Amino acid sequence: MFGEKVIELLKEAERNRETIDLYNDEKIRQIIQEMHVLFKMNMSDANATTENKTLWTTVQVRHSALERNKRCLLAYLYNRMIKIKTLRWEFGSVLPPDVRELLSDSEYDWFSKYSTNLATYMRSLGEDIGYSGIDLTENLRPPKSLYIEVLCITDYGKLELEDGDVITLKKNSRHFLPTSECQTLIRQGVLKQII
Amino acid sequence: MFIEDIRNDFYNVLLGNRVLLLVHYDVDAVCACKILQDLFKCDNISYTLVPVGGISDLKTAYDENNEEIKYVVLVNCGGTVDLVDILQPEEDVVFFVLDSHKPTDICNVYSDGQVRLIYKDDEENIPNFDDIFRDDEEDEAEFESEGREGIEAVVERRRTRKAWEERRHTLMFNYTQFSYYGKPSACVALEIAARASRCTAATLWSAAVAAAAHEALHYRSPARCLLDAEPLHRYVAAAQRHAADDDAHRVARVIVEKDAWLPLYRWWSLEAALSHAGALAPHLRLHARSGAVRLRQLLADMGFPLQQARQAYRSMDVELRRSLLTALESAAPKHKLPVPTRATFLLQRPHALPVAALDTVYAIMALIEHETIPSAEGFQHALAALQVTGENEALKQGMAAARRALEAVARLANSILSSRGLMLAGPFNYFIVQEGSPEAGSLRGPLWLREAARWVSRAAPGAPRALLASAPHAATNCLLLGLPPRFDHEPRNLFGAAFEQAATKSGASVSLDHVDSSIITLPVTQRAQFLDALTALLA
Repeated sequence: MFGEKVIELLKEAERNRETIDLYNDEKIRQIIQEMHVLFKMNMSDANATTENKTLWTTVQVRHSALERNKRCLLAYLYNRMIKIKTLRWEFGSVLPPDVRELLSDSEYDWFSKYSTNLATYMRSLGEDIGYSGIDLTENLRPPKSLYIEVLCITDYGKLELEDGDVITLKKNSRHFLPTSECQTLIRQGVLKQII
Repeated sequence: MFIEDIRNDFYNVLLGNRVLLLVHYDVDAVCACKILQDLFKCDNISYTLVPVGGISDLKTAYDENNEEIKYVVLVNCGGTVDLVDILQPEEDVVFFVLDSHKPTDICNVYSDGQVRLIYKDDEENIPNFDDIFRDDEEDEAEFESEGREGIEAVVERRRTRKAWEERRHTLMFNYTQFSYYGKPSACVALEIAARASRCTAATLWSAAVAAAAHEALHYRSPARCLLDAEPLHRYVAAAQRHAADDDAHRVARVIVEKDAWLPLYRWWSLEAALSHAGALAPHLRLHARSGAVRLRQLLADMGFPLQQARQAYRSMDVELRRSLLTALESAAPKHKLPVPTRATFLLQRPHALPVAALDTVYAIMALIEHETIPSAEGFQHALAALQVTGENEALKQGMAAARRALEAVARLANSILSSRGLMLAGPFNYFIVQEGSPEAGSLRGPLWLREAARWVSRAAPGAPRALLASAPHAATNCLLLGLPPRFDHEPRNLFGAAFEQAATKSGASVSLDHVDSSIITLPVTQRAQFLDALTALLA
């Protein structure tokens, strides 16, 4: 029956609401193939309909099937586009290779263009005050405090902050630093947050 | 240079800058550090906190952390030594010193602005600038004048100069002869917090613990302790007036109450607390065979059955617990014990037992000088033990360690007194903790060793004399500390200056590294010759 394959595609996308799946190139090609067939049949029958009115309903059915296919495909692609946007806000501008595989080439092109757009916008923020832009993707929720207290667990060496200050991280020294500086080191395990 | 206005010249200067905090290992420093940390967190002042044990630690910590730092705050270390000379800082680095160790070094007092002292103690008799420093340019004028009047003038000038130098020598000798303690640093930090309107229950509690420390460890005479704690009483009363009554069930508060001066009695059994209390137990002379009998007699006079007194305090009868204070006060004079109760600070927590400031003092001491945990880690636990909210695991750990340490102190003191380990040498007594004895592990640090020395000094027969205590420190070194006679009323200690002179005389390789000058480290092999030199010096 017409329009069945495209419903299968949508069901697949529905199964995984949060994350993106592999771009189902195969099925999309089949659907487009189906649409081509329908279109060709319609083309031939449409010319014949002007003489024979009985074929008019067939053409209408095929046309509805074509429109249905088109609508579902667009919904599928749009849904993927939203998911790719969230990928940018979660992962940053460089995607890990296993995520990269899930996108088609044109989707990846779109992703890079979106990234560039976002970066240009973020850089332009605060230009008149003198800031070189704010990273909006850093904190998607307001942080509890701007500065946190950390304890150094291992001898790390020197750490340079954004405003040029150099801190020596030695074992058992406590520091009170801006949250943004400490996050990567906390993830690495060099610093431990003290509540 | 002394700071006049602590809010504008100290606190406001630090706003917006990064600060290096260097803190010494003692109870008062931990409390002051906690108060300063809370202040810095309120105002988002970035800081780096490094604990230091002695002067060499101070130098290494400063050298490692001094890049791009303009303000350094030193808590309870560095006041008694010439900072600019030892640390060799750059021109624009400013040091704020909050040190309760006195006498303050003269170069720090008369520094141009690089070293700023936060609190001026009125009891220090600091010599005048003109009496100590004199322009050397006047000497050059001597050689310029010629002729007969010239020679007389030269001789006259030389004579005045010699008189001035002698006067300077006496002044400096009198100034540096005794080492003592000033107002607790935490009380000064409390003033800063109060002026900046950021005084919370946590701040009051830290200051209360520091005040209790100065009283319990006899750093200051009792009259001065009371004067130091007076602003704290005022702030606690003010906080009580502001708090509503129903808040008592939800927030922690500091209150002033009459309490027994027995360390850790709430966390222990009553009998154990009595036999390990540094203020009472030496008078009971528990090392003698009749000591146990005296303790039982005391409990009987108080009206406490022995079985109850041996249970954990919390499982004792409620009636007995309520009558503890009155019973202690009535029974103490009969056994010639000092007054066992006084008005002290307690932390009342909702849904938890109240914590006494005295207990916290011993807990922090035990955490800083723990048998197994290294000092730097113990310092972190000690800071956590001063929290007023939440389930305080560090405090429980500290209390357990303090119980063990107090038991070790009591055992050591009793064994020394019963085995006549107290030796006489000239004007002072001394005892040595042998390497390998079970107490040597707990009493490695200066704070607990001093507690043991106080115990022995109180229980020793005869008139009070100065006491020296020695304990094994690292592999081949030992720690030597001196305690003055009558330390509870006259805590000024002359052993600092005496140790220095004896070191030069005996030629022993003594390390004067500790911030408190009455504590030194020296190799075990040279201890005997050092003691001989000291005896000769003080005789």
